[in-house]
Amino acid sequence: MPGRGSCPDCGSAELVEDSHYSQNQLVCSDCGCVVTEGVLTTTFSDEGNLREVTYSRSTGENEQVSRSEQRGLRRVRDLCRVLQLPPTFEDTAIAYYQQAYQHAGIRTARLQKKEVLVGCCVLITCRQRNWPLTMGTICTLLYADLDVFSGTYMQIVKLLGLDVPSLCLVDLVKTYCSSFKLFEASPSVPAKYVEDKEKMLSRTLQLVELADETWLVTGRHPLPVITAATFLAWQSLRPSDRLTCSLARFCKLANVDLPYPASSRLQELLAVLLRMAEQLAWLQVLKLDKRSVVKHIGDLLQHRHMLVRKAFRDGTAEMDPGEELQGQGQGPEEEDVGSSSLELPAVKRPASPALLLPPCMLKPPKRVCSTPPVSTVTGDEDISDSEIEQYLRTPQEVRDFQKAQAARQAAQSVPNPP
Amino acid sequence: MDRNDSLSPFDRYLASPQGAMSPGIPVFSPMMHYGTGLTPQPVQSTDGLSTLEEEQQQAKVATGQLSTMSQQATQEASDQTPPLFNSHPLMTAPLLGTTPLYPSPMTPITPMTPPMPASEITELVPQLHNIVCMVNLGCKLDLKRIALLARNAEYNPKRFVAVIMRIREPRTTALFFSSGKMVCTGGKSEEQSRLAARKYARIIQKLGFPAKFLDFKIQNMVGSCDVKFPIRLEALLLSHRQFASYEPELFPGLVYRMIKPRIVLLIFVSGKVVLTGAKVRREINEAFNNIYSILKGFRKIS
Repeated sequence: MPGRGSCPDCGSAELVEDSHYSQNQLVCSDCGCVVTEGVLTTTFSDEGNLREVTYSRSTGENEQVSRSEQRGLRRVRDLCRVLQLPPTFEDTAIAYYQQAYQHAGIRTARLQKKEVLVGCCVLITCRQRNWPLTMGTICTLLYADLDVFSGTYMQIVKLLGLDVPSLCLVDLVKTYCSSFKLFEASPSVPAKYVEDKEKMLSRTLQLVELADETWLVTGRHPLPVITAATFLAWQSLRPSDRLTCSLARFCKLANVDLPYPASSRLQELLAVLLRMAEQLAWLQVLKLDKRSVVKHIGDLLQHRHMLVRKAFRDGTAEMDPGEELQGQGQGPEEEDVGSSSLELPAVKRPASPALLLPPCMLKPPKRVCSTPPVSTVTGDEDISDSEIEQYLRTPQEVRDFQKAQAARQAAQSVPNPP
Repeated sequence: MDRNDSLSPFDRYLASPQGAMSPGIPVFSPMMHYGTGLTPQPVQSTDGLSTLEEEQQQAKVATGQLSTMSQQATQEASDQTPPLFNSHPLMTAPLLGTTPLYPSPMTPITPMTPPMPASEITELVPQLHNIVCMVNLGCKLDLKRIALLARNAEYNPKRFVAVIMRIREPRTTALFFSSGKMVCTGGKSEEQSRLAARKYARIIQKLGFPAKFLDFKIQNMVGSCDVKFPIRLEALLLSHRQFASYEPELFPGLVYRMIKPRIVLLIFVSGKVVLTGAKVRREINEAFNNIYSILKGFRKIS
């Protein structure tokens, strides 16, 4: 630049300000001599005055990334902030979204799908870091259909070749239980309904573990089971005051949505607990039912491993052919609560252990699937003309059909007769 | 049977993934005939072969469970042991009361494990429920004319560009495209599917089109079976991560994508398995044998 002095080596006035990486230097353009140079490092006080601009806020991104991708990336950041995820999650989710955008199938997809893709990226990030986020939550936040979400989710997992771990049940219980508004008294929550968080959490965890062991969790949506377990845990911690409260009312008090399957999960869990109670000597005499067993859940959970072992026979185990069991000759499909008195009706014997099977295997089949008769079709049989003719219209039928069609066309062409 | 802590059941679920990749051994159960209610005849006739044929027919009628595959399998079995017995070694065994090759109890129900090392042999055979096939009729079709002249056809060009036609026997549905290609679905066996496709082609012929029957090909076969014991899907997912996908929030079943043979299986907690993606029946049977050996590994022996 002219007017800035001359080079000490060659005396030329052509000095240029040229940075060597991030170091400012004044260089002579004739001989290359470095006249002056700036400081490479900054002091602490200097750095306090610097303002870092993220790439997303600089203009650099606008030039390289398409507008719809930018919008998607913005939505990913917003979603991460709404869910209050740790900052590292945001970067991972952004990376997944950008990776997905490399594929032509995603770039040309509808806006609805791109919106759902935002949720998929956040969900995958959370799953990989064991952050318990359910698909239902994301769908509610994005106002998306679960069907659309599931299709996009399966597609993106396959496309990016990702290994997504399954939802961690323990973490989900902790997060979900903590969201119940029952830990402080309020105008809507009377004092007798308030419960200590730690006690409720530990008891809910034990109940969920029990449900998992007794085949109530496999193949089902995890959340309704946890709702039922939380309700039972809460009831059992103070049964005298809380037995009158129903599941629906409980969820309303706690300000939590009641998932539809939760009531049937509750019944299944109570049935398991009743079976376990039959094995405890001091409870056998009480003849418990679904309401009274709640008072003893604490005891049942304390000895749950032993009780489950005693109360149930393993449903997966192969039957030893020589084993003598009343009325059991086939496989592990029969419920035998009532069949224990087959041989000796006079003598009262304790009910033999029920089979530990998923509820779908214990219910009787809705319709009997008969095996089809052996088909002797070869595929090369003769086809009779009469058989084919039954599928063809007679000329009269054709004429009638054409007349009807014409009449309909005429009626349609005059939509609103005056 | 000791379950002291919640982790121990999972330790036993670490079955080897070899079952998925190992070459399938054809379904071969020498006990098939035992299991089909074959009881020793009280009166033995001197002509050994005639009673055997009678028994064969009795067995066929009595159970109705024998698929063509098992018939072939038992024939294979009899072919494999010609020198020791006459042509039906398995048939004579209950009659004579001796089973030189396979010592076993006489009760028909107990399954026997023959000395086969690799994959599990099972008397469970998957049942086919649906077959999708395609055939080229070799001529352009006027869809409007077909919809006009056929009773069992529906054609709504705004909804779908093909004519949908149904016949009652075998109960199937066909889609006719204007290019002359036809897709036939709903058949319960390969032969049924072929017969149905021929009937549809005959209908088109009678409507006045020069229809032929070219390139008949089965595109997909769907079958199902029941292993009759519950399955811990989470544990199966853990041990077979690279093949299995299980999202209980979306679908109650586990989706297992087997590589050899290339079949997709839907496995449910009740033990029911749905197999799809096969082009031939052998693939379904092979896939089921593979998955059965994997699932048996999860089962505890009491």
